[in-house]
Amino acid sequence: MGVRSINGEYSFPSRSRAELYGDDQLLHVLWRGNPFVCSAGTFRVPKTISFEEFVTTVLEPWAGADPDFIPGSEQSYQLDLVDFEPDPSLPLQDQGIGHKSLLSFEVSSYAVGDHSA
Amino acid sequence: MSKKLSMQQRYSALTRGLDWTPTYVDAEQVYPYTRFEGIKVHDWSKWDDPFRLTVDSYFKYQAEKDKRLYAVIDGFVQGQGHLSLSDAKYVNAMKLFLQGVTPLEYAAHRHFAYLARYYDGPGPRFAALCQSIDELRHTQTEVHTLSSYNKMFGGMHSWPQQFDRVWYLSVPKSFFEDAMSAGPFEFLIAISFSFEYLLTNLLFVPFMSGASFNGDVPTMTFGFSAQSDESRHMTLGLEAIKFLLEQDEDNVPLVQAWIDKWFWRGYRLVSLIAQMLDYMLPRKVMSWKESFELYFEEQMLGGLFADLEFYGIRPPKHVDQAIGEKEILSHQVAWTLYQFSHAAAFTTTVPDAEHLDWLSEQYPDTFDKYFRPLWDKAARIQEGGGRYFSGGLPQLCQVCQVPMLFTEPGDPTTIAQRENLYEGERYHTCSDGCQWIFEREPEKYVQAWLPVHQILQGTCGGPTIPDVLAWYGLQDGDSGEYVGSLDQQDWQKWHAEIEVGS
Repeated sequence: MGVRSINGEYSFPSRSRAELYGDDQLLHVLWRGNPFVCSAGTFRVPKTISFEEFVTTVLEPWAGADPDFIPGSEQSYQLDLVDFEPDPSLPLQDQGIGHKSLLSFEVSSYAVGDHSA
Repeated sequence: MSKKLSMQQRYSALTRGLDWTPTYVDAEQVYPYTRFEGIKVHDWSKWDDPFRLTVDSYFKYQAEKDKRLYAVIDGFVQGQGHLSLSDAKYVNAMKLFLQGVTPLEYAAHRHFAYLARYYDGPGPRFAALCQSIDELRHTQTEVHTLSSYNKMFGGMHSWPQQFDRVWYLSVPKSFFEDAMSAGPFEFLIAISFSFEYLLTNLLFVPFMSGASFNGDVPTMTFGFSAQSDESRHMTLGLEAIKFLLEQDEDNVPLVQAWIDKWFWRGYRLVSLIAQMLDYMLPRKVMSWKESFELYFEEQMLGGLFADLEFYGIRPPKHVDQAIGEKEILSHQVAWTLYQFSHAAAFTTTVPDAEHLDWLSEQYPDTFDKYFRPLWDKAARIQEGGGRYFSGGLPQLCQVCQVPMLFTEPGDPTTIAQRENLYEGERYHTCSDGCQWIFEREPEKYVQAWLPVHQILQGTCGGPTIPDVLAWYGLQDGDSGEYVGSLDQQDWQKWHAEIEVGS
């Protein structure tokens, strides 16, 4: 069923549709298996940014809020809940990472530090 | 008839006797909103409303309650009552109440006023009118009660603006606007039944008992003052559902679907209360788990739904998943608010040792295993002079708008992600319940004003976090870590002065 409305018509555009972000897109990033990071993050990124640049300028600074994160340890990527092998040099849009896609990863190693600042 | 009518006669004359059948225009033109939902009503006179008070006696009772409340507030202010709170930390619970609950009272006032005009029957119109007045009174008394704290503590100065703008307050706001933008019968099942009957004790009692245990006499008095109104509202919810179910068998599946939807919507909303109960009260009342078992499992599933079975109504869809979350819900939500409180209008901190042990006792199967290690690590970071805050913005559920923090049923370590493609665009929901709600009415939820998406679109004051916080109306001392906050500094200063003076 759909929405029941008084005049039988009910159609409105999405408030998060791709065109509202110009040359950018939204991307959700989830660190699987790390409850210290409570949820996935949502980022606005250029569609043409390479995967490698995205990782070093967006993903790793975000994951680095957890002091035990080791940059470069990301592995086992999934895109929209399916296993995914990213190409570091290709732009996001050329490897199927679309508006509001969900990119997730695990890490191969995880430091356990004393967290002194 | 004698000159002076009895109370019952006056009530009947007022609520039923003044009704008339329109003859110049069609009834459908006068009451245009009560048909499109598909609900069939054959006889409005069967509505037996719970507001058996006439307007003059109603105002007399409410005025007496107000007098008592305002006397308590005056006494509290004159006697420096804020110093007798259990701790300045407690006020965070009241910040959440003022920011997130008081605006709902006002929204309820507005929408019941609309229903008081548009229901066909005089009985429900009068009931809606009385509830509208109640809700306005609640808004005003809550604002007056908590304004005495606004002079002393941060986070309480701009609550109407914050309700409209701040990310976690979009949870209650979108909940209520979902109901207000539905038809008048769905609203009744959403707010009067699912919210005010099914879940009200889970919402209201924790705040008021929390006030009582933590030295907050004005809020406790407000709670007592509102309680008799709330019990009328609960009765209205129950009356409404029985009326709809008895009017026509075709109404049963519609009502059931609304119960299924609004139970889950309301349950996700009260996840904010779950963390308040377990984490924001310095002196504990009961755990969320205990509260959920008593007020929901025992009273509602055990009592109410056993009665409703007679009408062919079954317990809400996805209720088993709610029950399955009772050992983890409050911890997951509190942990999320801890790492995003730099962008909230309240403060958070790592629970102290005694508090952590209380949580272990209350949640023996889950706390030490899944959650204590998180707080221990956060404490180590704080001991080293840092403070763990998230470095980004959280992904939000398209339906409940809570950050996507919830985990798979039966697996507290795997974040749940539900995905739908609708007209070529991806949408994420946090749970089977929210996904089911999205799939029923995707046209509605694609319009969701998701705070994170809006911030990133640039519609919330600017591109940086400080821009957004300024647009939220947050001021120094409203947000972030409690230890070292302005509230804590003031609290320590006030109490040092008392000790020096005594």
